[in-house]
Amino acid sequence: MSVTVDERVTDEVEALEAILMDDVVIKRVGDVPDIIETVVHPSTGDDIDQQFVCVTLEVKLTPGYPDTSPEVTLRNPRGLDDELLATINSQIREKLNDCLGQPVVFELIELIRENLTESNLPSGQCVICLYGFTEGDVFIKTQCYHHFHSHCLASHLIAGKKYYQEELEKLPNWQQMQAPPYQQTCPVCRCPVSCDVETLNTAPPPVDSITAPPFCLTDELKDLQLKMATLLAEQVAKGGVVGMGDTGPPPLTITTPADNDDEATNGTSSGSQDVNKVDATRNGSSSNDNSSPGSPSSRPVYHGPYRGFNRRGKPARRGRSAR
Amino acid sequence: MAALPRRIIKETQRLMQEPVPGISAVPSETNARYFHVIVTGPEDSPFEGGLFKLELFLPEDYPMSAPKVRFITKIYHPNIDRLGRICLDILKDKWSPALQIRTVLLSIQALLSAPNPDDPLANDVAELWKVNESEAIRNAKEWTRRYAMDN
Ligand SMILES: [Zn+2]
Ligand SMILES: [Zn+2]
Repeated sequence: MSVTVDERVTDEVEALEAILMDDVVIKRVGDVPDIIETVVHPSTGDDIDQQFVCVTLEVKLTPGYPDTSPEVTLRNPRGLDDELLATINSQIREKLNDCLGQPVVFELIELIRENLTESNLPSGQCVICLYGFTEGDVFIKTQCYHHFHSHCLASHLIAGKKYYQEELEKLPNWQQMQAPPYQQTCPVCRCPVSCDVETLNTAPPPVDSITAPPFCLTDELKDLQLKMATLLAEQVAKGGVVGMGDTGPPPLTITTPADNDDEATNGTSSGSQDVNKVDATRNGSSSNDNSSPGSPSSRPVYHGPYRGFNRRGKPARRGRSAR
Repeated sequence: MAALPRRIIKETQRLMQEPVPGISAVPSETNARYFHVIVTGPEDSPFEGGLFKLELFLPEDYPMSAPKVRFITKIYHPNIDRLGRICLDILKDKWSPALQIRTVLLSIQALLSAPNPDDPLANDVAELWKVNESEAIRNAKEWTRRYAMDN
């Protein structure tokens, strides 16, 4: 062999390969180590699911290394912004100066890892609360690589299970027995997930949602509200509003959650028959007598949800008892 | 009533700042969970030219449960019943908190473009839509003209 490799370099490369194993790539020119490459992750123990950022570290050894500095490049940053990359790069330059004369790759990996661990936050926002991920937030990455605040995902999973049980109880006994068990799903892609809701639910609500400014009515909004009221009054005036021409008790408008408990507002294919049954009983025995399609009723007697709207310019809030 | 959740505030702001074409949604002056909505009838549908008023209510546990939506303006459509109730899976069992007011209203607008008489809520309308589509469409246009247009 014509080229002798510095013993300090040989030792360092050996140690890197022994410790990082498959996670490090040593490119050699002949027998001489030339480029050392490894992907650096934040330290999260063995919990890969909690790693939201990473970057590839490439160290090109110079002929005089370690008495001269190697050329260091960061490639393929994931979840890191430019500002943080610049910070890490300047820390790297400092470290290279401090470590002249001794192997530096382990030091570099450690330096980058510390930075990543501090900034281990996913980019984008949590689709459940519409806020981003900030310092102090507790969040989780699902098996399908979607990020949520733990608090938000817990609320979703608890609500999902409640809905499942409510629907199940509507089924006859024999169908309940056959129903598939409750399966947690991801809000974004509906993939099955398995999370410990109890633990998630102990997480605090997202930081940004707590500090966000409260709701205020803008002039623009007030303007739009006025336009809406005008349009509605026009439609009421010409009998174009649901419930007009019906002789039965008026349907309820939706203004409180309680209104929806027995008012199946959102019908689906499975629920539609029940919905129609309710109508039939409400409007007397003949359900179609005054609303046959194709012949809009000519009697503009309005009993609908917006009685009083045109007068006061806003929806009348009424209880369940129809007057 | 508890303070309005920040998500609802955010959605409201975004609806104002980046309105969806053909859709406007404005919270009521008395109840920020209650939205007045107007959906314009999609082009090349029997509802073209119509301005359809809807009401949308965000229940207490929104976005964990779906908004309650229905048409206020009369509309002749196989998936919308006489009381304006809408047959749409994302409003019921396919709801996900990843959906928003805007996505719900877009889906409703899409439903106007693509009525589905095989999954009816208004059975008599759906029946006619299946056996005599051209007559059904004529009815839909007539209702639109009569109830949902400025004249
Ligand atoms: Zn969240
Ligand atoms: Zn997912």
